[in-house]
Amino acid sequence: MVFDSLSSPIIGTVTPLDILVFGIAVLVTVIIARIVAIYLKKALGDRVDPTELDKLVKVIQAVIVIIGVYAALPSFDIQLADMLVVGGTLGLVAAFASQRIVSNLGSGLFVIAERPMKPGDNVAIGSVSGTVEQIRVLSTIIKTYEGVYVRVPNEKVFNSEIINYVANVARRFEYTIGISYGSDAEAAIQIIESLLKAHPFVLAHPAPSVFVEELADSSVKIRVFIWAPSRVWWSVRTEMLWEIKKALDEAGIEIPFPQRVVTIAEGARVEVAHAPAEEGDR
Amino acid sequence: MFGRHSIPFRLEDSGISIETRRNEKFTIYERISPYERVEKRLGFTEGALTVNPVEPVNLPQEVTGAVEFHFTPIAVMPLSEVEVFLTFPVETGVFSGTGDNFTLIDVFSLAQPKYSLYGSPERGIITRHVETGVSNDVPTVNPLEEGVLSLRIRNAGRDWVWVSRAVFESSSLRIFYGPHAAMSAEMVVYSRLLGETWVSKTPPAKGMQEALRVYQTRRSLIPEKPSYLMEYGVGD
Repeated sequence: MVFDSLSSPIIGTVTPLDILVFGIAVLVTVIIARIVAIYLKKALGDRVDPTELDKLVKVIQAVIVIIGVYAALPSFDIQLADMLVVGGTLGLVAAFASQRIVSNLGSGLFVIAERPMKPGDNVAIGSVSGTVEQIRVLSTIIKTYEGVYVRVPNEKVFNSEIINYVANVARRFEYTIGISYGSDAEAAIQIIESLLKAHPFVLAHPAPSVFVEELADSSVKIRVFIWAPSRVWWSVRTEMLWEIKKALDEAGIEIPFPQRVVTIAEGARVEVAHAPAEEGDR
Repeated sequence: MFGRHSIPFRLEDSGISIETRRNEKFTIYERISPYERVEKRLGFTEGALTVNPVEPVNLPQEVTGAVEFHFTPIAVMPLSEVEVFLTFPVETGVFSGTGDNFTLIDVFSLAQPKYSLYGSPERGIITRHVETGVSNDVPTVNPLEEGVLSLRIRNAGRDWVWVSRAVFESSSLRIFYGPHAAMSAEMVVYSRLLGETWVSKTPPAKGMQEALRVYQTRRSLIPEKPSYLMEYGVGD
């Protein structure tokens, strides 16, 4: 009785039994794909870069699932050529019905092909800054520097300005350090240069540059340009700034506050008027 | 200090001491060097540790897989070759294990590390920067601080070339040790903008032993590059 009802066609020649067999076959391939993924991650985890391994595992999983679906299709008695026609028509209908999704999909494919960034890169996309976690077909996942999950639709990624801070192997950063007019600028430059020479990640080539840039209102401005490997530039930047501050302090070189010298003309009288105190202040 | 040492042992040289002590379950590994003290627990009490020079790209942290030598420019005649001796900074690795299965326990150095950029920021590579003198013969070195690289430079082009740089892929470095660390390498110069370098797999002198490499402990699936193509010039 149950078998009869499972064997009776519901759509064309397709029976509930066909759908059941197809579902079980797909489920089995998904389970196999997951087992293979776990095995691959265990076997290759310490040998392949995690992001590359992730891609590899996903490709292999997709291949296994596609093979499983393809193998299960005969249970429907469906010709592949018919499926392509039906699939194409359905795809066209779906595309018209969901333009935003298709737009995101197209943008995603272009972003993947153009590769302006990869997982692990520090980027700014429009107003979002952080580390790229995943580049999916429809969206890109960013983890901000505060650890917040942000999903950016690929259409927005494609149309926004993307700043990739680590796309190049090295990058430059700079400081402007003001020292007092009474301090020896040449000595300050020598101290800064010796610190830069001693730091491993201040690149020897392109060489750092230290020079007097401006004779400003309150200080002599010394400019420092440093090249560092992109992977460590932020730690170099923070370390060096503090090292420079400590070294200049130790050498007695003053980093002054903004100041203004006011000269009062001889014979001028200054009258200071005191406002009468309020009732409540008494 | 270089060699294989059975636990327990104590080594001391050039202000660096390495000691292993047994307790009931573990071996305590302790290394004291200028400005640094490292202590680790090893989950075994029998066996030996190997101490030898390793690829100088690990300190203070690994940011590159290439070593770049900078030296006094050498003029090389067309279709001729010269041999020079350079020095390189020694990083010393301490390994545990046997056969092909070993792991890095510690790495230290007396040399001051410095890094550089070979090529442009967009397409170049970060390199461990080695500023070295050029000698006709094997120079005298402190084994824990410097090793000796014998470099044979061959000008395969038709023009004179000034050579002052040699870049090597760190995965191809084969360091040997005896009284000091040593490598022998070759460089073929095709033009002032193009050269190719590789390190020999044979010991530079008799009696030298091949050092364990940090690269091997990673068991990377990416194949080793036997040579490095210098596409951004061989001179300054």
